[in-house]
Amino acid sequence: MSEPLLEVSNLTLDYNLGTRKMRALDKVSFSLDKGEVLGVAGESGCGKSTLGLAIIRLLPRVAEISRGEVIFEGTDLLKLSEEQMDRKIRGQKITMIFQNPQNALNPVFKIETQMVDILRVQNKYKNPGTQKRRRDFRQEAIERLKITGIADAEARISNYPFEFSGGMKQRVMIGMALSSGTSLLLADEATTALDVTIEAQINRLITDLASQYGTSILYISHNLGVLSDVADYIMIMYAGRVFEMGRTDDVFGNPRHPYSAALLESLPGHQAKGNRLLSIPGFVPPLDRLPAGCSFHPRCRFAEEMCRQQAPPLIEVSKGHWSACLLDQKRGRQKWQWI
Amino acid sequence: MAVDLIQIKGLKTYFFQGKGLLSKWFGKGLKIVHAVDGVSLTIRKGRTFGLVGESGCGKSTLGQTIFRLVEPVEGEVFFNGRDVVKMNQAELRKFRQKAQLIFQDQFGCLNPRMSVGQIIAEPIVMRRGQRKSQQEIAQDVAALLRAVNLDPDAAVKFPNEFSGGQARRIGVARAIALNPEFIMADEPTSGLDISTAATILNLMQELQEKMDITYLWVSHNLNQVRYMSDDMAVMYLGKVVEMGPTSEVFDQMAHPYTKALISAVPQVFLGKKKQAIFLKGEIPSPINPPSGCRFRTRCPHALRKCEEEEPALIDLGGGHLCACHLQSH
Repeated sequence: MSEPLLEVSNLTLDYNLGTRKMRALDKVSFSLDKGEVLGVAGESGCGKSTLGLAIIRLLPRVAEISRGEVIFEGTDLLKLSEEQMDRKIRGQKITMIFQNPQNALNPVFKIETQMVDILRVQNKYKNPGTQKRRRDFRQEAIERLKITGIADAEARISNYPFEFSGGMKQRVMIGMALSSGTSLLLADEATTALDVTIEAQINRLITDLASQYGTSILYISHNLGVLSDVADYIMIMYAGRVFEMGRTDDVFGNPRHPYSAALLESLPGHQAKGNRLLSIPGFVPPLDRLPAGCSFHPRCRFAEEMCRQQAPPLIEVSKGHWSACLLDQKRGRQKWQWI
Repeated sequence: MAVDLIQIKGLKTYFFQGKGLLSKWFGKGLKIVHAVDGVSLTIRKGRTFGLVGESGCGKSTLGQTIFRLVEPVEGEVFFNGRDVVKMNQAELRKFRQKAQLIFQDQFGCLNPRMSVGQIIAEPIVMRRGQRKSQQEIAQDVAALLRAVNLDPDAAVKFPNEFSGGQARRIGVARAIALNPEFIMADEPTSGLDISTAATILNLMQELQEKMDITYLWVSHNLNQVRYMSDDMAVMYLGKVVEMGPTSEVFDQMAHPYTKALISAVPQVFLGKKKQAIFLKGEIPSPINPPSGCRFRTRCPHALRKCEEEEPALIDLGGGHLCACHLQSH
């Protein structure tokens, strides 16, 4: 076993909105090894994007991390100063790809200008003191565009973002994000805005480049199908907590939490037409008014008295497979058949 | 045997982009966007017809042309045997009572300054010939809200007080207010969570069974189209490349584009990883579509013939049509 690249333990985060305090992450713990892909899934408002932002420390000011550690390559990121984050981590060791490439690129500058800027800053921190000419940066930017599969990169680099399609813009973002120095890539719904064929291309590109450079990926998505394609491990989140975690085949093939089973059953594709899909009753509760006990109990078909009173811990139920369900823990493995 | 509700024949919708008057008068510099380019299809009554394709393939434009929100350049759209393209304003008004739309942007299509009750009542109030008292209308609205599993109290609230899934259901309630025969649903679950999307799919199936509604289901989510539709068509750059009963198309897909599209759909697969077909490049511009077969620039099997000659839709048996030269070989 090598040392994990990223180890998050007991990460707890609140959003302080005046009188209301929303717990967006509640004792989230996981670890990610070099070269692995961890998929994070859950409904909107479950805290999956907050998790990504917390790791790279791009949270809004109202967010407060009350406890926990984010150990990345041996250092606790939460203890670093803003300047250290900028100099060593953000855009260098850890990079992020966002859902909407449209908003991530500045519309009034050419692709070239934006990429050269990034490369210049990266170079300044990586090799302080060295002088490189603009032409060299431009060449490097073209190389990166080529790696991401943009045809005719020499000419296209002088285009403006609006002249690129959505898929190409996302390629530019990946080109900026992935370089030999990056060891962790945070992809937050990176392909949600794209068409299926382009989505498949981009996901292939991300995973190929990552394995080429030995980059680990935290892949955040609500699309379980995409996650099943790209991820080695899956983490299912609900209302700020980790409900289930394990190898992709274990979590999707043999879910040990009723919530994971429910998500799988609400996907069209496994049932014949005419059979109703599962829709989980109720809604994700607001984070400042979480129910006592297991936060999923009001929506869970299998909930019992103990679920209302006791919050379930996340326990390793079989090798490398973690689940936070009291029923599963007390009664042993069950088949969570919702319909 | 199901009756045909909608028959589309050779429908073409073009958009014209010009730089100014000169191009208008002399056709100079005029660009023609071939959004829908010769589509023929039939939608059976009481069934769901799925229309899939990537963005920019013309699927939404096709839907809008059926309602004449966009005027076609050529072609016919028969609704219950009457040509919508030739209808005058009065006839159109009647047609639009029987045919309704559910939009992709669930909040964008609800006026934020109107209460939900007003929004749902609007089609009822607008209908000519039938005067209803305030009380009757309120009863209708309550019944509609109940039909889409919302509380009748919702009538006094405003759209911003609802979640995405609820807003979508308000859109559905408005669409069914006049007992329509036909509803076009344009990406009806985009932007919704998995479980919420399932609620909408269940609701729309229920309504179909209860009210015998015909759906045109426009989506790029193939899993959903497979689950919801009876017949389907795959569009690429304004043309139908494959069409037929949904089970046929999925089990015996014939067109290379359909194969690539279906293989690219992310599925929760266990054990073995499936082999996705990766298409080269992206969808070309509909202003200057490629000659011959429009898919040839991205097709892994393109022949010389594909460049020269446009493939016609050929019946592979059982109403399963495919437009590909490889099929006739």
